[in-house]
Amino acid sequence: MAKCPVCKGDVNEDAAKAQTGMTSGGAKEVDPTMGTRQFHDGTWYYFDTLECRNKFTRNPDGYLQGSA
Amino acid sequence: MDFAYTAEQEKLREEVRGFIKANVTPELLHEADAEASTTPDRPRGMSPKAAALYKKIYDRGWLGITYPKEYGGQGGDRLTQYIVEEEFTRAGINISLGGSGAPAIMAAGTEEQKKYYIPGLIKREITFALGFTEPHAGADLANLRCSAVEDGDYYVINGQKMYTSAAHFATHIYLMARTDRNAPKHEGISIFLFPMDTPGITVRPLWTIQNNPTAPVGTTYGNSRTNETFFDNVRIHKSCLLGEKNKGWRVGSMGLNLDRVGASRYLISVRRDEDIVNFVKSNNFDGFEPGKSPAIRDKIAEMWIEAQVCRLMTMRSMSIVERGGKFTYEGSAEKVWAPEHGVRVTEAITQMLGPYATLLRTSKHALMDGVFGHNVMGSFQSGINHGSVQVMRDQVARRGLELPSSRRSKTGEAK
Repeated sequence: MAKCPVCKGDVNEDAAKAQTGMTSGGAKEVDPTMGTRQFHDGTWYYFDTLECRNKFTRNPDGYLQGSA
Repeated sequence: MDFAYTAEQEKLREEVRGFIKANVTPELLHEADAEASTTPDRPRGMSPKAAALYKKIYDRGWLGITYPKEYGGQGGDRLTQYIVEEEFTRAGINISLGGSGAPAIMAAGTEEQKKYYIPGLIKREITFALGFTEPHAGADLANLRCSAVEDGDYYVINGQKMYTSAAHFATHIYLMARTDRNAPKHEGISIFLFPMDTPGITVRPLWTIQNNPTAPVGTTYGNSRTNETFFDNVRIHKSCLLGEKNKGWRVGSMGLNLDRVGASRYLISVRRDEDIVNFVKSNNFDGFEPGKSPAIRDKIAEMWIEAQVCRLMTMRSMSIVERGGKFTYEGSAEKVWAPEHGVRVTEAITQMLGPYATLLRTSKHALMDGVFGHNVMGSFQSGINHGSVQVMRDQVARRGLELPSSRRSKTGEAK
């Protein structure tokens, strides 16, 4: 279980990445209600909502260093 | 200079209109549009009926008109393409090759890539998702961080893309990734083309403001769905590289610029003028005929004059590209004028029709299936997508007027 760097809520990484469908081009599709993630400086961070992810995008270092 | 069409061109236009009248039904439009506007209750991919329609259009020689015959095109001119595309776009049928990928392949692709992708795009057997924007790299696209690292004969891709609007029905992705983290941000970028079923690709739906209710066909940016797409150790062969390694910025920018030229882009904005002209000509409210109101006539005329500027700018761009001239800032100038005109005319319509112009299609009082209301939500998007109007103004200033760049070097000097 990962912690959302913004709201500190729990995010289930496996659920966020679990395949729930397939696009017509053959790519894995996931359930958007299970959270999202962001690739930052070589690491994936998990978020419970897009709103949290958007806040993180504006100030990643602040959230990672706890100063945001 | 005479911008009128020749008798032969007018004949072609009538032929296309006749084809549309005979072959395109509202039901078929809905099915063809479902490809781009998939929702949980609507089918994915092209329906057999929509595919049959595109086959008929292809058999008429109306797909890929400007592309060379050896790659499945017609070897035709841009004005012919414009006339055909304008009629189909107005009817709600998209016959473009799906964005900036095809012109970029023609400019920078290997012979093998051209022979594989261009015929497939023309026949609509191949569809690209555009993988450029990232959560922190939209208007400032060169800030992108999705990485492609060489590993023998392969590249390994890690990262994510935002607003990959075609990812849920695309067969391939046209991806911009960083291949040199130490290079200046506009360098060290490369472009890759590879199938969407490559292991490690994940698509996460993002439902738009047009999702509930879904927008009628012909709405400005009426798609109900876009996506974010993740790449986890996606391994692709080096032959997927488009153009030279680390030179992708130029290829991608050029493709985007060329994609801004044509009837589809022009009509995104100008179709709104056509909507209101058609509406006021054919409607009255309990005896009040809006077409007879001096204030409404004045506003519509003003907007129509602006619309003609859009058309002339498009014609000029096409002429430059057709002649093989230097096409630098013209597409950017168009990309400022047309979307902002689209917003102005949408706002003008809300002033003319009042609250009726904001009703969505589920309202029993909605006008023209709610297209005016859905346009209010979608029109602003056209000033952001495919290069924001702010970035486009900067390109006009630098490339058109040769003003110094506002970008600064690491020492703080203007570049």
